[in-house]
Amino acid sequence: MTTSIVAEDLRFSYGDTLAVDGVDVRVEPGRTLGFLGPNGAGKSTTIKMLTGQLVPDSGRVEILGMTMPAQRTTIQGRIGVCFEEKNLYLAMTGEENLRFFARLFGMRGFDPAPLLERVGLGDRGRDRVSEYSKGMRQRLMMARTLVNAPDVLFLDEPTDGLDPVSARMIRDLIRAEAARGAAVLLTTHDMMEADQLSDQVAFINEGRILTLDTPEHLKLTYGTRAVRIRTQRSASQVDERVIPLDGDGAAAIQQALAEGEVLTIHSEEATLEDIFVHFAGRGLDA
Amino acid sequence: MSTSIVATIVRKDLRELRADRFFLLLTVLSVVFYPLIFWVLPSTVDETLRVGVVQRDVGPLLEGVEDTDGFAVTEFADEAALADALVSGQGDLVAGLVFPDDFLSAAASQQPSQVSLLVTAAVPPEVESALSTLVSELALVALGEPAPTELLADPVVLGEDRVGDQVALREQLRPLMAFFVLMTEMFALATLVAAEVQSRTVTAVLVTPATRTDFLAAKGLVGTGLAFLEASVVMALIGGFAVGAPILALALLLGAALVTGIGMVAGAFGRDFMTVLFISILMMVPLMVPAFAALFPGTTASWVQALPSYGFVQTVVEVSTQGAGWAEVAPDLLMLLGWTVVAFAAGVVVLGRRVATL
Repeated sequence: MTTSIVAEDLRFSYGDTLAVDGVDVRVEPGRTLGFLGPNGAGKSTTIKMLTGQLVPDSGRVEILGMTMPAQRTTIQGRIGVCFEEKNLYLAMTGEENLRFFARLFGMRGFDPAPLLERVGLGDRGRDRVSEYSKGMRQRLMMARTLVNAPDVLFLDEPTDGLDPVSARMIRDLIRAEAARGAAVLLTTHDMMEADQLSDQVAFINEGRILTLDTPEHLKLTYGTRAVRIRTQRSASQVDERVIPLDGDGAAAIQQALAEGEVLTIHSEEATLEDIFVHFAGRGLDA
Repeated sequence: MSTSIVATIVRKDLRELRADRFFLLLTVLSVVFYPLIFWVLPSTVDETLRVGVVQRDVGPLLEGVEDTDGFAVTEFADEAALADALVSGQGDLVAGLVFPDDFLSAAASQQPSQVSLLVTAAVPPEVESALSTLVSELALVALGEPAPTELLADPVVLGEDRVGDQVALREQLRPLMAFFVLMTEMFALATLVAAEVQSRTVTAVLVTPATRTDFLAAKGLVGTGLAFLEASVVMALIGGFAVGAPILALALLLGAALVTGIGMVAGAFGRDFMTVLFISILMMVPLMVPAFAALFPGTTASWVQALPSYGFVQTVVEVSTQGAGWAEVAPDLLMLLGWTVVAFAAGVVVLGRRVATL
């Protein structure tokens, strides 16, 4: 099976400023890669090179087995890009927006209704986008991204600033698209979201990928294999213990549970944020 | 470039413009309001009369004329040279006087020796009156008393004689009207382009199979097409196509492409409505100078002739007021074509670069 996204040793500079410095990524069909990093880390520049908006200074981009930018037009017919900016035609209706993009993909007789229904805008398709709320616009952005049933999705902060309901709807769409077989490259600031949606995550900072692995493996590697148990032994005594899972951990947990009423149990694995800080020496908001 | 993609973007642009109330207002104003104000007339003229003179025995007397208010005199060797200068517009001359060899002696002896007056068709009758006064003054200075006979002969009109067929001021407004409409459409296109750039919808378009060339071609077609169509409607409403319709249509088409190129530049730099308005006005003002200059009698200054819109205005003026044909307006159309190519290329390059750096 052809790898959906291949980027090898990508480099790009804006004048004297090196924005991307030797980025390598691969995404297989049906898999989601979370691309995590602070503002200015090189995420957007990398996506621009992968989607044909920028030509790399050096390196190789291959999408669905085709070379970018040599086969740019063919590739762009099979990808979907969801931008961080809500770049919709506000004076046009939701239906008109989708029909316009369908025509750009060469689709005739396109019916926007099912797609609008899928993003929860079935009853607002004939309203002007200028009348949409922020969440509705973002859902329309996702619908536009899916107009051509793309084999590769590039999603730039698709849930940024959305209400929980809209964010959940978009996450469900991303999962459904991956399940359909689309490769997804997702950039986000939201570590929880990346954790939930990504098969692999890549941490990028100052134009370089710091690490690329599955979220689970990263958390196990850089966290502690232990559980933290808080129990109430008496009316005035709360006991908290960290029990390593290696060795005789199971017995120690059983004993702790028997000693009092359990208030909370948490694993001590690292969060993705912890791991990013470990690599970059700063948080995502820095 | 894909024609189907270009057509799709053009249809989208037209849909957007149709939904834009401001654009609709501009369009309605152009089509309705401009013809309604067709009667507006200019209120100022250049009062200096630049006169060419073939002098024989009145040479010394002419030295004092330079000091006379409102006259500027240029001397010529013979009548042919003076006529050539008048026809070619050399030195912004409005008329010529050819004094006969025996002017002074004939005037003194009350003989019928008269001064020839050469004028072009565009010179108003008031000039003839002023020059008659000038000749009489010269005779008065020379003879010490008023000349006994009328000294100025009937004027010799160089080029087409429009006596009895004067160009109404209303007709002189046609190029101004046509250019106003083109300018209006330039602003509409600039607004459309700026919105597309600022909202980055163009970026969304360019990650589909649509290319930058498709996008620029669509904008060029929309801008040129709308400007041409609307200017044609207004020209038709003010009777501008009664003479030389094919020439005028070509001039309008080239003018539409010219302002489209400029509109693309304005749109590329515009950040919002106000900056688009500012940049557009900045570009409109020099472009409108030739259209205003056409309202005033006399030869147009050379710097005005160098402006990009001069070829358009001059073609419209010559065709609609003088019935000029292809041969007469060919130099103006060629100049317009040259400027159109330059402006359109500039628009494509500037907007293309702007889009590429988003």
